[in-house]
Amino acid sequence: MDEILSVKDLKKYFKTPKGLLHAVDNVSFSIKRGETLGVVGESGCGKSTLGRTIIGLLESSGGQIFFDEKDITRPSGKDVMVLRKQMQMIFQDPFSSLNPRMSVHDAIAEGMLIHKICSSKEELEKKVEELMDTVGLARRLANSYPHELDGGRRQRIGIARALSLNPSFIVCDEPVSALDVSIQAQILNLMQDLQEERKLTYLFITHNLSVVKHISNEIMVMYLGQVVEKCGSKELFAHTLHPYTKALLSAIPTVDLDDRREQILLKGEISSPINPKPGCRFASRCPYAKETCTKENPKLKEIWPGHFVACHYVEEINNGQEGEK
Amino acid sequence: MKQLEVQGLHVHYITDTAVVKAVNGVSFALDKGETLGLVGETGAGKTTTALSILRLIPNPPGKIMEGEIFLDGSPLLKIKESEMRKLRGNKIAMIFQDPMTSLNPVLTVGDQIAEVIKFHNKGISLADAHKRAAEMLEVVGIEAGRMGEYPHQFSGGMKQRVVIAIALACNPDILIADEPTTALDVTIQAQVLSLMKKLKKERETTMIMITHDLGVVANICDKVGIMYAGEIVEYGTLEQVYRNPLHPYTKGLFASIPDLNKEVHRLTPIKGLMPDPSNLPAGCAFCPRCPVAEKQCETQNPEKTEAEEGHFVACFCCQTKGKSHG
Repeated sequence: MDEILSVKDLKKYFKTPKGLLHAVDNVSFSIKRGETLGVVGESGCGKSTLGRTIIGLLESSGGQIFFDEKDITRPSGKDVMVLRKQMQMIFQDPFSSLNPRMSVHDAIAEGMLIHKICSSKEELEKKVEELMDTVGLARRLANSYPHELDGGRRQRIGIARALSLNPSFIVCDEPVSALDVSIQAQILNLMQDLQEERKLTYLFITHNLSVVKHISNEIMVMYLGQVVEKCGSKELFAHTLHPYTKALLSAIPTVDLDDRREQILLKGEISSPINPKPGCRFASRCPYAKETCTKENPKLKEIWPGHFVACHYVEEINNGQEGEK
Repeated sequence: MKQLEVQGLHVHYITDTAVVKAVNGVSFALDKGETLGLVGETGAGKTTTALSILRLIPNPPGKIMEGEIFLDGSPLLKIKESEMRKLRGNKIAMIFQDPMTSLNPVLTVGDQIAEVIKFHNKGISLADAHKRAAEMLEVVGIEAGRMGEYPHQFSGGMKQRVVIAIALACNPDILIADEPTTALDVTIQAQVLSLMKKLKKERETTMIMITHDLGVVANICDKVGIMYAGEIVEYGTLEQVYRNPLHPYTKGLFASIPDLNKEVHRLTPIKGLMPDPSNLPAGCAFCPRCPVAEKQCETQNPEKTEAEEGHFVACFCCQTKGKSHG
C-alpha cells in the first residue's frame, strides 16, 4: 500500500457551556505518499482542527488515524516521540508561532536537540546551516531574532523547523495566508521544490482556492466539520458537483477580465457548529434544499470514480453535466 | 472639474532614528461615480494615501510634506480642522479594514450609525436620527430590529455591513474603502462586494478601493493604480492595466498569483523583498527586484510616461514609446 496516512470517521468535539461543538465530524480520507491533499473551507469549518487532531496536538473524540498502516489514534508517550520525527506541522502565523526570545539558529536547532539527532555540536551547527540554505535563509541571519525579520523570512524559519527532523509528512496550516502575493509565490515554490526533493507528503490547509488548486493533487472541501466534496484537483474545477463548492468557486474574484461568471450569492452565513440539527448542514443556505435535506444528513458517496459528494440531490442538480463524462 | 484630485502627495513618518518615506509623489484624479482601485503589498503606502485624503495621518510622527488634495476644486490641506471635521463622514467617508475592531463594543449598532447622522445634521431629533439609522441598516441588508444589539452579537460579515452603513449614513460623495473584505470569508466577501457595487451604482458614489487582491479590483473598479514603495508605478483603466500590464512590477504581480483558469507548474515570484521605506534606493525603487533593470535605473527614478491614452507607467522601458508626462 502506498497510502502514508489514512483517517477513518475522525471526530473532534469540544465541550462548551452551550453544548457539544462538532468541529470535525466523521471525516475519512487517505493520502498517497508524495502527494498533496488540499483541505479548503471557510473559517469555522474545522480544517485547522482536523490538521491538529491528525498530528496529535488535539486528542480525537472518535475514529481512527493510521500512519504507515499503524494505528496512531492514541499513541503512547514513546510512540509520540517517534511520530514527531515523521509528522511535522507548519503553522499559519509566522508572527506568533515563533518564540520571540529564540534566535533563528536556536529555533531551528530546538527540535534536533530535543530528539538528540546530532552527536556533536559541530554536527548540529552543520545541520542548521544546511537547513538555512535549503529554505533560502542567509547564514548571516542565524543570530537574528524573529522580530527583526519580515513575514516571508519568518515563514522560512517555520519551514526549516518542520524539516529539521526529516519528516515524511507535513501538515501545512495556511502557510501563506499571512504573506504578500509576491512573497507567497516564493514560499509556494519552495514548498513544491522540497516536496520533489524529499518526497514529502503534504496536508495543505487553506481557504485560498487558487493556491490549493495550484499545489494539490486532491482537494477536499469542508463545511461545518464535514467533507462535502472530495476529488482530484482538476476534476473539482472542471466538474464541480456540490452546491456549496459551486458557490465557493463562483465567489472568488478572478483577475481574468473575460471570465465574468454568474456569481452564486449564498444567503446567510455559516450556522452554528454547536449541537448541529439533523439534516444537511448546508441546507439553510442551499439554493436547492428540499424537505429531505433538513431531515437526513447526506453521506459522502462516489458519483464518478474518485469523485465523492455529500448531497442528496447531486444527480438532479447536475443533470446537464453528467452527459459530458 | 474632477471631484477628487490628489497632486504630488508626499507623506513621511519622522521618528528619532529614521525618516520613513511612506508616500512619494502620488497623483490621481477621479470623476464623479468612478471607482479607483489602489493595489499594492504591505507597506506600499496605500493606507497612508487614504488617510492623507481624510487628514487622519497621526501627527507626529506622520507629516504631509508636499502635495495638494482638491475636493470639488477646493484645497483640502489648507482648510481649518473644524471645517475638515464637517467633511469627514459627511462628504468623504471611510470604511476601515477590520470590522472587528473599528466598531465601539459598548455602543449598540443603532447608536453608532445614529451618531454620524446626528453629528452632521444639526437640529435633527434623536428619534429621527434613529429612524434613519434603521433605514441604513435595511439598506445594507440587516433587519432594522437588530438596531439595539451590540457588535459582538454580529458575525464578521454583518459587522462589515454595519461599518458600511455608518460610512454611507450621510450619503458621502467619496467613499474610501480600506481592504473592506480582507478579513472576511470568500462567500461573505462576495455578498459584501455585491452590496457595495449596488450602493455605488444607486448613489453614484466615487470610491477608492484599497486592496492587495487583484481579483477584487477586477470585480469592482474602473481605474487601477498599482502602488510600490509609496509611488503609483502604473495607472490606467481596468482594461488597460489588466490586459496590457506594462510595468515590470505589475507583470510580476500577475505572474505570482495562481490563476484558477490557467495551469502552471511553477509560479514566477518577484525575487527579493520590498525595500525598506526609510532607506529607499537612489534610482527606481523597484530596480533591485526588477528583471529588466538597466544601468540608468540604479541612479534615476523614471517619471510617469503616458504609454497610451490614460495609461501611465513609471518605467524607462516604456519611455521610448510614449511622450513624457509630469
